[in-house]
Amino acid sequence: MLRTGLLLAFLATVAAAHADLDERSQLSALLSAADNIGFPTVTEPRAFEFPRDHGPHPEYRNEWWYITGNLAADSGRHFGFELTVFRFALTPDLPASDSAWRTNQVFIAHFAITDTDGEEFYVAERYSRGAVGLAGAETEPFRVWIDDWEIAAIDDNRERERWRLRAADDDFALDLDLAAVKQPVLNGIDGLSQKSAEPGNASYYYSITRWQSDGRLRIGEQEFGVSGLSWLDREWSSSALAADQQGWDWFALQLSDGSDIMFYNLRKTDGAQDTHSGGTWVPASGDSRHIDRDEISVTVTATWDSPEGGTYPAGWDLRLDSEDLVLSVTPVIDDQELFTTVRYWEGAVEIRGTRAGTEVSGRGYVELTGYAE
Amino acid sequence: MIAAVYRANFNYLLRHPWQLALSVLGISIGVAVIIAVDLANDSSRKAFLLSMDTITGQATHQVIGGPRGVDETLYVQLRRQYGIRSIAPVVEGYVSVNDTSLQVLGVDLFAEQELRSFTSQLSSEQSSGQSEPAAPETVFRNMLTLPGAAVLSAPTARMLGIETGERFDVVAAGTRHSAILLGTYGAADTQSLDNVLTVDIATAQAWLGLANRLSRIDVRIADGDARLLSEISGLLPGDTTILPAAARTRTTAEMSAAFMTNLTAMSLLALLVGLFLIYNSVSFSVLQRRRLIGILRALGTTRRQVFGIILIETAAIGLIAALLGVGLGAWLGGKLLGLVSQSINDFYFRVSVTEVAPSVFAIGKGLVAGVGAALFAAMVPAIEASSYQPRLAMTRSFLEQQTRRLLPFVALAGTAIIVLAFLVLGSSGRNLVAGLVSVFLLILGFALCVPLGVKASTAWLAPLARRLGGVWGGLAVSGIGSSLSRTAVAIVALAVAVSATIGVSIMVDSFRGSVSDWLQKTLQADIYAGMQRGSMQPDLIRDLSQVAGVAAISTSRRASYEDASGSTQIRALQMAPGSYSGIELLDAEPARVWPAFEQDDALLVSEPYAYRNNVAPGDTVMLRTAAGEVAFEIIAVYQSYDINGSSLLMSRATYDRHFADPGVDSIGLYLADGVNADDVIEAMKAISAGRQEILINSNVRIRDLSLEVFDRTFIITDVLYWLAIGVAFIGILGAMLALQLERARELATLRALGMTPLQLGSMITLQTSVIGLLSGLAAIPLGLVMAYVLIEVINRRAFGWQIDMSIAPEILLSAVLFAIVAALLAGLYPAWHAAQSRPALAMREE
Repeated sequence: MLRTGLLLAFLATVAAAHADLDERSQLSALLSAADNIGFPTVTEPRAFEFPRDHGPHPEYRNEWWYITGNLAADSGRHFGFELTVFRFALTPDLPASDSAWRTNQVFIAHFAITDTDGEEFYVAERYSRGAVGLAGAETEPFRVWIDDWEIAAIDDNRERERWRLRAADDDFALDLDLAAVKQPVLNGIDGLSQKSAEPGNASYYYSITRWQSDGRLRIGEQEFGVSGLSWLDREWSSSALAADQQGWDWFALQLSDGSDIMFYNLRKTDGAQDTHSGGTWVPASGDSRHIDRDEISVTVTATWDSPEGGTYPAGWDLRLDSEDLVLSVTPVIDDQELFTTVRYWEGAVEIRGTRAGTEVSGRGYVELTGYAE
Repeated sequence: MIAAVYRANFNYLLRHPWQLALSVLGISIGVAVIIAVDLANDSSRKAFLLSMDTITGQATHQVIGGPRGVDETLYVQLRRQYGIRSIAPVVEGYVSVNDTSLQVLGVDLFAEQELRSFTSQLSSEQSSGQSEPAAPETVFRNMLTLPGAAVLSAPTARMLGIETGERFDVVAAGTRHSAILLGTYGAADTQSLDNVLTVDIATAQAWLGLANRLSRIDVRIADGDARLLSEISGLLPGDTTILPAAARTRTTAEMSAAFMTNLTAMSLLALLVGLFLIYNSVSFSVLQRRRLIGILRALGTTRRQVFGIILIETAAIGLIAALLGVGLGAWLGGKLLGLVSQSINDFYFRVSVTEVAPSVFAIGKGLVAGVGAALFAAMVPAIEASSYQPRLAMTRSFLEQQTRRLLPFVALAGTAIIVLAFLVLGSSGRNLVAGLVSVFLLILGFALCVPLGVKASTAWLAPLARRLGGVWGGLAVSGIGSSLSRTAVAIVALAVAVSATIGVSIMVDSFRGSVSDWLQKTLQADIYAGMQRGSMQPDLIRDLSQVAGVAAISTSRRASYEDASGSTQIRALQMAPGSYSGIELLDAEPARVWPAFEQDDALLVSEPYAYRNNVAPGDTVMLRTAAGEVAFEIIAVYQSYDINGSSLLMSRATYDRHFADPGVDSIGLYLADGVNADDVIEAMKAISAGRQEILINSNVRIRDLSLEVFDRTFIITDVLYWLAIGVAFIGILGAMLALQLERARELATLRALGMTPLQLGSMITLQTSVIGLLSGLAAIPLGLVMAYVLIEVINRRAFGWQIDMSIAPEILLSAVLFAIVAALLAGLYPAWHAAQSRPALAMREE
């Protein structure tokens, strides 16, 4: 969800801190430019249209396709995965050139797999210019890719989306068929997600919270047939975090009764909760409604010290009284921290709890930023 | 006792400082030239390799294509379809900025971290006090989004007078583009990236007119990952191939190897001449001390001790001289470097050398050469000195007697060495180094024969001199023969130096003549228009060909083709009717060759190509084309003096059939009868103005320009043999001073007998003139043989050229005159000195 802010907030600090200019901070620096002059800002709600809006919105400064999920092998062995493709426009306009390599579009992708039983976390990153076919995003049919990593619609005219996701690194790979179980839901107010009081500091934001997912996963030389549920987050904007915002905790939870819940908690530099925090409730029916920040309470029940420094929350109690929901959320393994262009924690979680007195369980993903510099 | 002996000898040296100085100077110059050439060669080579290493980075292999490189979709395919990540695209070429040629390196910064470190560390250094250094993210961002954004090394930016943030013009393929300097490389990478302009791949494609093309794909394959290598090989289309990066660098560097070997040979020549000088000095110092040695021997000093003393003394002098030579060489190397790198830049590859630092190895080599040469040269005099009978050692006549007795044996040894030289020459096939070794053997053998020749000729000349110049004339000439131990060496040194002049002059002269004839024949069109690198705009070619007075045009494309064995030039010619006679076919029937040339998959090979690859008409050349490997038949060999002479010539039609490269880099215009070429050139300039910057020249002007480049190439040769002459000059000076000193008593006697100072001075001057004359005459046969060997063996082995030898009499005449003048000049001071001496004092001293 707030990944744009995630990157940008981190990018600014990383760029300032690293004078030695390694590759990571280079990219960070590249993307951290503060001014968004010339880019369209998000001030008015828009008429979302699908499948068109699955495709890119290159005039906005940043955009992402964010897929996370929990999978199980036939043997029951559990895996989590994340595949995110970020798009950045470096300038508002595309410079004219005789060369097809000239572009203002940059793509970055993160691919991670959590091997819960093996207690291993695998991460890879790709970056490329969005030109000559090396990386890009297309609308008709929908496709976004970077090198040989790709998320693409399988064009078979179904009522609901069917996509294929493919990514591979040396030690791990994933090839999944995704079939949307629910229709897209608009987050925030009609898909406009306000991130701070400042006008324009907002994004367009929708999700498809539940996809039936089947395919193959490889760890080292070992291949597994896997199936499970995935979650798509789509967001684009031209803005960043406000100066007094420190980071956020984001929850994408899929429950055994068919309902899904998204909530993000924006944290201010003074530790307080930002009033722009909020979420979306998506019952099994597929309808959705906005969750106000006052409706939900999140209590940290455990912490984890990263070996690289920084302390992350590592367990939560979550109450949503309006749905009579009490959940306990626990990472499947503690160490799911990514050292990519930016450093953050994004991991598979396990859920136990009750809804209206009945036991529910579930799986999900949590993203934590702003805990480690 | 021994200490006293050393002191006695040491005191002797101190009392003759000029002699010491000459010995030291002779060795120093010899060593200096070796060090200097070594340094210039080595610095050029190292700078090139360092630069290549930096630019190659971590790449172990490179995917290369045909004349227009690699299709960029191949790169995308390797990443997208096959997930190969350790690859990076490169678009390379040359542009000029403020008339300085720069190598453009177009990269994709996103792919770079797999391969190159310097590109991902683009940092900004303040190039002046005023401008703020650009933030790195700005550099990175602007590289991607700002057309023309570029990074240079700090020294190159300074040299070009461009500051960070400043806009400047770049001329690529005759078209002007605007560039902006984003920043400069940090100090660590600076040297190897001089004259390299790093830009985004998009900028490079736009500038160089290479849309959709890559110069190459750099590939990093982990050690022993044969699977990835064969996977990539299997994915390549027919016109591309994958080569190991290191081997590519090596074959490029080797292009200039023959050139550098020849320079090294020249430097050895200087040392060789220096060797005679050292021999001269050492033997003279021994002769001078024959009394002292005689006394020492009489006092019980053993032969071995005498031998040791002389060698240790020589070694000490050699060491001091060599040290001086190293310093002198380092300085001289800096001067030569400009000439060497200029030649390499003209003909082979970009090399930019900012630092000249002799390696420990080079210094060691210089020191060993200096001390070794000194000891080698001192060996004979030392053996001689230690073999003196105590009594005999004190007489000079004994020594000359001995020398004369040895002459026939020395000459015999010389003859044997000459025979050996020819044996080496005949049996060494195409080996360049063996060819050079035989040249040195020839010189050495010849040198050993000279003393006998001098003796014979003075015996013959003396009566003549007596008739012409009276008793003094006779004395002057016979004096040379009677003090052969001194004079012969001086004559040999001068003769060798002069013969080198003759040999090299005849070679260069013949070469120049051949090149000039060839240019005359080749440049059939009246006007040529085109550019060094890049393609002419097609509509410009059309418009130029329609200028009034133009009867026909020919077009030419020079493309570089590379495979595992190195780089070859492919020339594609669209012939005009008049073009055919411009290509000199060797041993082939034009009526048979030309129709096949236009019709079939056939080509001509240049003479150097044929020599180097040992091919002849009827053989085939395999080339990668758009349709995979194709065999082209060689239908003839043609003459070419292009320095990158290894070239293949094919018709435009054949080229177009096989290579997807529509480019034309030059055109030749044939004018109708009576049309004034200058008028047409003016019209052409008006047409091309503002469209593309091209060079337009008449055929005469092209020939002049080509010969200018030719002459510039041989400047370094000139410099080297002037240095050899310098050493020889010092040799004569030393020899004449020695002679005069040795004969002080004899000369004093002559004075006492009534000879005037003027007569004495004249006699000595006459003597040196005769020495010069004899040297010059002796130099002629050796010079001719050297010229022959240089032309037929060295040039052929080094470059594959066949040159017609032509001997201009003025070269021989001026060489003899030069020898006489050099000897005369060297004899002036000794003559003056002898004339000044007071006979009574001289007689008493002796």
